Amino acid sequence: MKGQHKEVLFGLYNDEEVLMSAIKKAKKQHLDIMDVYSPFPIHGMDNVLELEESRLHIVGFLFGMTGMFTALIGMSWIFGGSLMFDGDWPTIFGGKPYWSLPAFIPIVFEMTVLFTAIGMVVVFYIICGLGFGVNNPILDDRITDDKFCIAFQTNGMGDADLDKLNGFFKATGAEEVHTKAI
Amino acid sequence: MAMMGLGVFCLILSFIFEPSQIAAGGFHARFWSNFLHNAVFFTGMAFMITFVIAAFTTAYAGWYVVFKRIWEGFSLFLLPGLIMMLLIGVAVYVHFNHLYHWADTEAVATDEVLKGKSGFLNRNWYLFGTLIIVGGWLFFAKKFRALSIAEDEHGDHATNFKYHREIRKYAAIFLPIAAFTGPAMIWQWVMSVDAHWYSTLFAWYSMASWWLAACALTIMLIIYLKSKGYMEFITKEHLHDLGKFMFAFSIFWTYCWFSQYMLIWYTNNGEETIYYHTRKTEYPVLFFGNLVINFILPFLILMRNTTKRRFGTLFFSAALVFFGHWFDYFYMIKPGVLINAEEAMAHGTETGHDAAGHAVEHTASFVDGFTIPGLIELGVFLGFLAFFIYFVFNQLSKAALVPKNDPYLEESLHHEVQPYE
Repeated sequence: MKGQHKEVLFGLYNDEEVLMSAIKKAKKQHLDIMDVYSPFPIHGMDNVLELEESRLHIVGFLFGMTGMFTALIGMSWIFGGSLMFDGDWPTIFGGKPYWSLPAFIPIVFEMTVLFTAIGMVVVFYIICGLGFGVNNPILDDRITDDKFCIAFQTNGMGDADLDKLNGFFKATGAEEVHTKAI
Repeated sequence: MAMMGLGVFCLILSFIFEPSQIAAGGFHARFWSNFLHNAVFFTGMAFMITFVIAAFTTAYAGWYVVFKRIWEGFSLFLLPGLIMMLLIGVAVYVHFNHLYHWADTEAVATDEVLKGKSGFLNRNWYLFGTLIIVGGWLFFAKKFRALSIAEDEHGDHATNFKYHREIRKYAAIFLPIAAFTGPAMIWQWVMSVDAHWYSTLFAWYSMASWWLAACALTIMLIIYLKSKGYMEFITKEHLHDLGKFMFAFSIFWTYCWFSQYMLIWYTNNGEETIYYHTRKTEYPVLFFGNLVINFILPFLILMRNTTKRRFGTLFFSAALVFFGHWFDYFYMIKPGVLINAEEAMAHGTETGHDAAGHAVEHTASFVDGFTIPGLIELGVFLGFLAFFIYFVFNQLSKAALVPKNDPYLEESLHHEVQPYE
């Protein structure tokens, strides 16, 4: 898809209730919706669009494990005494053994949280295509304000299909219908 | 009813079968510690639920309204709880038992530490403090219940939510009262078993334990009632949120537990460290088992989204957490009572802290009903549990299952946390 333009036909709605019933109708007619845009999250939308559960939390768990082991192994490497490490720079704190787990736990906890948080933010940005230097075309500025939008990709569509989509927008009460190449 | 019979039977058994190591003292320590353990555990659950009703009402929470009646039943258990705690209070007052070292006036007279604490740890305050404070909690629990019933009967919309406003007012008054009196009761009932030791985190930790137990029991009761065809308006969305509470507070509980442990471990101040030293070396099953049941297992089981939405896994983990926190209270109370009993036995032959030192060494052997929960302890637990559930269901049958005029009922009926499976 790289370098190729997407031909997009989209309709703008004024009300989220109208939008919801339009999506339901589109699903019933087996129209292939590219995406739906809304200025705010709409309750029940996931259900209607048949979206799957996000898998971001699995990433979070993996990053958490990474952070945990980084901290544990890092400290074991420095202090030695366990996990097969000799100790790179063993130091006694407060008369405790070199490798004293209770003292490590707060650090392990913090590293777990840090890795999870940063890792999840980065992955979330990558999934959503919001990295640095990425230019995301917006269909219409008003979909970040007060308009609700359903978009169809129309690359290589015949007139009959386009008419069907236009008819759909008209039947479901779209205020405006536009085309745009992005 | 049969279970309640079993409970009473086991209580009597525990009265007769005193472990041989401390039988000579004649304190009936097994009976009294079982009674204290379960009475504190179930009364505390009732208190925490009263507190949570007040907190949710103040926080404008709506989702819990569909099972509010179950919680009202829980909170009213403060009445039997008050009676049980008063029984213990009277027994402490007239020296029927030896749960608390500070109740021994002769020992306190020669003990500088306990003398300093005697303003709080004395028999008068134990009995009358319990009466006043638990009586106060009961007053609020009854008030919430009465207003909620009145709301049902007279309608709330017509009266411009008069009853709900009234509940909110009482809830706001109750919150600070509960925040101060709850810890005071815990120090007095549970922490003072080890009279020389104290921890400022103890109240947080044990209150989290109460709330987790109550939350787990709520989940089990809801699933049970649903299986019987009642309360079909409680959906898995509500149970999912209760499961999240259980998950989150299991972590909170561990956080409190660990903070208390780590600070004492790091400071290594003799009179504090001995508390953990005794438990770690002589009660390893209690010490490590506690962490496994209450942190590692719920954490790993409840982490997945789907385990909180399936009744089977949720019921299993709720049962685990519920038992785990009963176990936690066992761990808080039993070793201390045993040490007290042994100290008091040695008191006649030796003097002062030598006796205490010897007593601690003696506990290295296995003591029935103290080292780990025995069958009699489990029987007493089931008996109390049956009584608690019987009481809650009895309260439940006295009013409509849905608080039909609650302003948040609609919101609660449509509660949804996750649209997809």
